Amino acid sequence: MEDLAGYKGSSLSFLKKAGASIGDVLEVETSWGVVSGTLVPRYLYGDGDHVVLKLRSGYNVGLDVSVLRSARVLAKGQKPSFSASSPPKPSKGLPRVLIIGTGGTIASRIDYRTGAVHPAVSSADLHSLVPELSGVARVQPEILFNVFSENMRPSHWTKIAQRVRKAIGEGFDGVVITHGTDTLGYTAAALSFALVGVPVPVILVAAQRSSDRPSSDGPINLIAGVSVAGTAGFAGVYVAMHLGESDDKVALHGGTRVRKNHTSRRDAFVSVGVPLAAVWGKSGAEYVSDGLPMRGGSSFAPKTRFEEKVVLMKFYPSMPAGLIKAARKIGAKALVIEGTGLGHVSKEIVRELELFVNGGGLACMTSQCIGGRVDLSVYDTGRDLLHAGVLPLEDMLSETALVKAMWVLGNSRSLGKAKEMMVANIVGETTSRSFPGTPL
Amino acid sequence: MTGKQAADGVRVGLEVHQQLAAPTKLFCACPTTKSEEFPYHFERNLRPAQSELGGIDPAAIFEFSKAKSNMYFWNPESSCLVEADEEPPHPLSDSGLDSALLAAKTLGSNIVDEVHVMRKIVIDGSNTSGFQRTAVVGLGGSLKVDGTLVGVQSVTLEEDAARILGEDESSRRFALDRLGVALVEVALDPVAGDPEFVAKVALHLGRALRSTGRVARGLGTIRQDLNVSLMGGRVVEVKGVQKLNLLPKVVDYERKRQLGLIRIAEKLSGKGLRQIKCKARDVTGVMGGTASKVARRELVDGGKVVAVVATGLGGLMGWEPYDDIRLGKEVAEVARANSLGGIIHSDEFRRQGLSEAEEAKLRAELQSGVDDAIILVAGRPSVVDRCVPLLIARLKEAVSGVPAETRAATESGETRYLRPRPGSQRMYPETDIPNIAITEGLRADLAEHIPEDWQVKVARLQREYSLSEDLAVKVYDSDISAEFERLSRELNLEPSVVASVLVDLPSRLTREGVPESALGLPVLSEVLRAVDSGRTAKEAVPDILKAAGSRGLSVSEAISALGVQLAGESQVRGVVDSVVHKHRPIIEEKGDAAFSLLMGEVMKELRGKADGAVVSRILRERLAELTGKKGN
Repeated sequence: MEDLAGYKGSSLSFLKKAGASIGDVLEVETSWGVVSGTLVPRYLYGDGDHVVLKLRSGYNVGLDVSVLRSARVLAKGQKPSFSASSPPKPSKGLPRVLIIGTGGTIASRIDYRTGAVHPAVSSADLHSLVPELSGVARVQPEILFNVFSENMRPSHWTKIAQRVRKAIGEGFDGVVITHGTDTLGYTAAALSFALVGVPVPVILVAAQRSSDRPSSDGPINLIAGVSVAGTAGFAGVYVAMHLGESDDKVALHGGTRVRKNHTSRRDAFVSVGVPLAAVWGKSGAEYVSDGLPMRGGSSFAPKTRFEEKVVLMKFYPSMPAGLIKAARKIGAKALVIEGTGLGHVSKEIVRELELFVNGGGLACMTSQCIGGRVDLSVYDTGRDLLHAGVLPLEDMLSETALVKAMWVLGNSRSLGKAKEMMVANIVGETTSRSFPGTPL
Repeated sequence: MTGKQAADGVRVGLEVHQQLAAPTKLFCACPTTKSEEFPYHFERNLRPAQSELGGIDPAAIFEFSKAKSNMYFWNPESSCLVEADEEPPHPLSDSGLDSALLAAKTLGSNIVDEVHVMRKIVIDGSNTSGFQRTAVVGLGGSLKVDGTLVGVQSVTLEEDAARILGEDESSRRFALDRLGVALVEVALDPVAGDPEFVAKVALHLGRALRSTGRVARGLGTIRQDLNVSLMGGRVVEVKGVQKLNLLPKVVDYERKRQLGLIRIAEKLSGKGLRQIKCKARDVTGVMGGTASKVARRELVDGGKVVAVVATGLGGLMGWEPYDDIRLGKEVAEVARANSLGGIIHSDEFRRQGLSEAEEAKLRAELQSGVDDAIILVAGRPSVVDRCVPLLIARLKEAVSGVPAETRAATESGETRYLRPRPGSQRMYPETDIPNIAITEGLRADLAEHIPEDWQVKVARLQREYSLSEDLAVKVYDSDISAEFERLSRELNLEPSVVASVLVDLPSRLTREGVPESALGLPVLSEVLRAVDSGRTAKEAVPDILKAAGSRGLSVSEAISALGVQLAGESQVRGVVDSVVHKHRPIIEEKGDAAFSLLMGEVMKELRGKADGAVVSRILRERLAELTGKKGN
């Protein structure tokens, strides 16, 4: 029943009998006295024994229906609903930026069904909540879809890439994509490959604290993201997230080198093995790394297809060889193995990988060390892996390697070509030199 | 209550915030340690969030419009990522919840069936998240004060805010050590505003909470907020009264202030003014050569001056219906709360150095007559632009008397403007914390732990141990009443002696510089046992404790070192004889009246080594002998 959202069991029948709906002001008689308040929705996973009233003071309290003697609707109320004020008018002459909403914490508010934070705020809501945007760019917000980032699939990456391609045709100066943080790194890598040679900045923005709270990091990341997308002299796919705990600086990470390294901190995202692409302060660029592709390049040749049948596995002591067989059984066309150290797995796994390669599969090796590069020439196991036909992927991140394999298989005609593309450095996913001092 | 106050119909609702004595903070495992040093810091900005009913809280918009950034200083010894708002809160601490529930039960509150943690939007920076986590645990209940029942509205478990370290025009600085410490908040029904009675209610409530044995003690662990209103008028919330003796002063001041505002409104209504019309104009050009120091200072710093003309308020800005209560002061407070120092109104132009000619020029420029008030607002352009609408809003409120606002109590017992009053829009569910159903088992457990009512207990202490009311209350307040009762039963000493050694002496000796750590319960009970067993006299107790404290001795060592083993009767007689001999002339002159002088001398000589009662008996005998002889 829609107007008694979340209520079930005895609390639902009690409220039905009283003729109450969400938002009504109720007066209930308990065993110890009379309580009145606004009926608010019950979380989906809440039990069926309590009725939740919002008191005049604003507090919610749960009352056990078994001790409620009666309920009376004092006033029919409005249903809780979110109302965004209208966006401020941006001034002409500012760059045009498309904001593509895909869901995630940067665009979320409370969901009564689960009591959890849920993507619900539209990009338009977001714009009205962050009025500073109107001083930075003429933004056009739109919702492409609204999914938790853990529910993203390659088909979503394709849709985003296609929308960005269209936006470039429409003359936007840059694109901002709002996204959940969990798989942000994967999407950033996917767009880096799909939009290779992109002539404008494409900035992925997220928030580690939801937008329903005053302390959300989303607005600052969004303002920086829109500013970079609209005004930066460089192009390419980047992630814009807090540099540290403070709201003063936002780091830009290259799309193929970025990783979420903390579950909850604002500065969870780090550039692995490379310097930051740029740092944005309150008044604009504070640092921009050398060698970023310039805005307006002419080599844009988007390839937006991805092959989903790729498996990423982390090797561990006692890993059963059957897991590799299982991957073959589900039709995996490529395997990315996150090996130990320089890129090692046990003897049994080496044998299975050889079978996988001989069967026409693409097998690649990255390291679970996260920092550093794989090297299959140092120890016997490594040499066995090379002999088995496993491709070492230098210092490529495992998640980037997975996404790249999906993209390579989606956009190459032969296995030989795919292998060639897999080990080539296309958008900075590998480096040829390692240095001390760079993070991880 | 005086007749006058009853007629004014002042109502005061108390909200008491008491820190709980839980071992950890409410939503993380951090200890409740106060830090002195803060090796780390970070900076944040807060912005208003939408509540579940769609609106935004006026107090939140107000704070956001001030656009201050917040610097947070922290130390890992007292805070973690949860306080930094870098990690979701951990589940509500069991001990915090139990203590709040027990407090609710003690006050006769009805425990809610399911506790819902809420987010209360507070964007003055004092919470890194932008909200305070808070949950109602009990509704209703009452407190008996001097035979009057004062109703309890609600009992709430909440986290304490960050400690403010300092503030300037653009930022505030906070320490995170106190953030997240568990508090119980008790909101009482409004009572008639007799200031002394209000203070008494607070005192009673504090004692009732302490009776649970679950609350923290010491400076700053209890804080009172007041909701003050005149009959039918709007409610003014006064925050942060730290000391009980300030409560009556604050109530008095607020009553005077609100009555004053009503008298100003009456005056306006007498003039037939139902609303104040205001217009604002930039007069930076006109004020170029001003003689006003305030305006000149702002102009030199690149500021601007806006003049607000308020119809009908001429002569009323500086009018004092009561001592120091002026509309001009109210408006200036709103300006100050918005980081604007420079406002001058026309009733004080002369005092502020503006000449008559200057005023005439301004009035001509603004086409305003003397019946209008002119308020000059000078400062940085962005601050002036932000403040002018707020000041106009305040001026317009003059016709309705008392605006609903949140004020802060000052050290001297006055109040000053903080921000508009928040509405219920500021509450929404804390979705990171699951709701907690209160089980029958927990209810039964609580019922077993409800403490003895403090008033009943004080009466019992008086009755059973023949203590004065004052001493009985002191014993109760000291939190060692259990030890007092045990020692009084065990030892053959007067309970009043036991009470004064346990309760009075430590505070006196601490003032004299004896470290508190040397005055712990084990030491105090040992010294009482020494007196009880005749090893020393009760008069020697202060010296023994001082020696033990300053020289690090045990009680027995201190007794030997001071030589205050109890003197035998023959030794006392010897000393009495020698003192009497020495003071013979005085005895002859004053007779029995010389007793207290001689008693003092003898005790000094014996350095506390004798029981005063024994000395007194022997001295009186001796004096009787002497004066009796004389009388012959």
